Amino acid sequence: MKRIRADRWTGQLLAARPLIIGGHSSCRASASLLSAPTRSISSSATSEAEPYDDGTDHTRFPPLERLPNATTLPSPLPERALRSAKLAALHARLSLSQKVPLQTLARTLVDGSADANRQFNNTNLAFVGQTIINYHVTEWLMCRYPRLPMDILYAALAAFAADDALFQVAKSWGIESAAAPGGEVDPGLLQFSLHKPSTTLTQFGYQRTEMEYIEKYKWRRGINSRVMFDDDFGQMVSATPGSKESEEQKMWSEVEAGLFEKERKEMVERSDTEYGTVETRALASKAHAHFTRAVVGAVYAHCGREAGKAFIKSHILSRTLDVSKLFAFKTPTRELALLCAREDFEPPVARLLSETGRLSRTPVFVVGIFSGKDKLGEGVGPNLDHARWKAAMNALKSWYLYSPGDNVRVPSDMLVEGAKPWEPTYIDLGEVISR
Amino acid sequence: MTVVALKQVTTGRNGVGAFILQCKKMDFHYCDWAGSSKGMNGFIKSILPKFAAAHPQIEFTVSPRPSKHPVIIGHYINGREKAICVRNLEPLQILKKVELLRDASGEKLRRVTKPVQSINESVRGVWSPYHGNGIQV
Repeated sequence: MKRIRADRWTGQLLAARPLIIGGHSSCRASASLLSAPTRSISSSATSEAEPYDDGTDHTRFPPLERLPNATTLPSPLPERALRSAKLAALHARLSLSQKVPLQTLARTLVDGSADANRQFNNTNLAFVGQTIINYHVTEWLMCRYPRLPMDILYAALAAFAADDALFQVAKSWGIESAAAPGGEVDPGLLQFSLHKPSTTLTQFGYQRTEMEYIEKYKWRRGINSRVMFDDDFGQMVSATPGSKESEEQKMWSEVEAGLFEKERKEMVERSDTEYGTVETRALASKAHAHFTRAVVGAVYAHCGREAGKAFIKSHILSRTLDVSKLFAFKTPTRELALLCAREDFEPPVARLLSETGRLSRTPVFVVGIFSGKDKLGEGVGPNLDHARWKAAMNALKSWYLYSPGDNVRVPSDMLVEGAKPWEPTYIDLGEVISR
Repeated sequence: MTVVALKQVTTGRNGVGAFILQCKKMDFHYCDWAGSSKGMNGFIKSILPKFAAAHPQIEFTVSPRPSKHPVIIGHYINGREKAICVRNLEPLQILKKVELLRDASGEKLRRVTKPVQSINESVRGVWSPYHGNGIQV
């Protein structure tokens, strides 16, 4: 059940890239592959520079007044990246190598919703970055916690590499965003549009044909099918990104239903003015996350695999997550009994270890769960059942959270030249009761 | 399906892994005419170019503010800013203030009563009255 999907690696990066012809001279040589495409407007140096092509025939319908060239573009010209103080500061703040040109860094800041042209937005870089981030986080989680159930593994991966976490990463880099995208914007600002969400595909996964029924009738969506069909975080791929009501939105609509009309109105108005709406916040978070992925993609593309891995390790994997807080058990005692049966342990028995104030208002019971003579776990609760459940949960957590240590070797360590021979790592079956 | 996953987000710890300097931008305001800007003008001429070259991760802007005292404003990653008025200060005194702004985290100044703050779990664990042999009175 647990596996890394080899077909989700960055094969598409190795595949043929569209050939870019002409006009590289203004950019540095290292920039030529990824950020070299020049807008037609910039190459035509004459005074008759044509504005950004929006489908109008400018010879028949000449513009009424001449706008500065840059303002007609959807995103700033790559050349301007060299003169942006913000961008240079960001480059230095992230300690990026000189191999990553400023033009590429500027490109990572242009979201697909700001500029639909794939040669100038960060979609491709974000796609590569996402693949690499998810791969490194998954392999690290799998080697570090080899017994995690698949559900928890998905949640842990999302805690490191989903939009929310990468939004926080981008924020911690001090990224500011432009009020609205456009050619006149400083290239050091993150540019995304709040009015038209990006429609570019930036994730793996298949769109399920039965998705409607899963949502409507709560059809069973087993873990196997989640591994096979859904995206990297085990979430269903929706038809149109942005159209699906997010969980936060659902929660808000429920909260709002309980409020009085006037209060609700005030609340909505305030949230719309001060902090943006739920939708705009989601769009901003997504754009920031895409930027983070694109930076990783840029580091990978320009500096290579090892540099990309080091970047992920220092900026994403170094963040803290208490994995034990991801678990919620429904029938812990049953699961523990099945686990003991699976592993040929003696069946678990709960014993009262100590208690105080049984007849008082606040009794405390300490219950231990034993398998033969071994104590598997211990729990404290205000009644015997509760203490027993807590003990079973603690026992299960100590099983699931087994770790061979902090500095585990991961498969990608073997890609370095002269690496020590690989010792097979222990990976468990995963969950005791699957769905 | 007895194990259900809850949603969590990782928390960043600056300096574990990568270190990001919290000061992201500094504004220098001076006046050409006023005497209180004398030291600031000297600082901008002689010291600031070297300081800026040594700190590429900070964005520097220098702008005149006629008939006002000279001010240095630091902008931080958490969105706050910190302003210091440097009227009548010598260039080297101003350098001290600039270093103060560079090293600040941008947080509000708070009295720190405990020497160590950590989000890590206690190694020793929490004391429990229900364990151990107890004390005979």
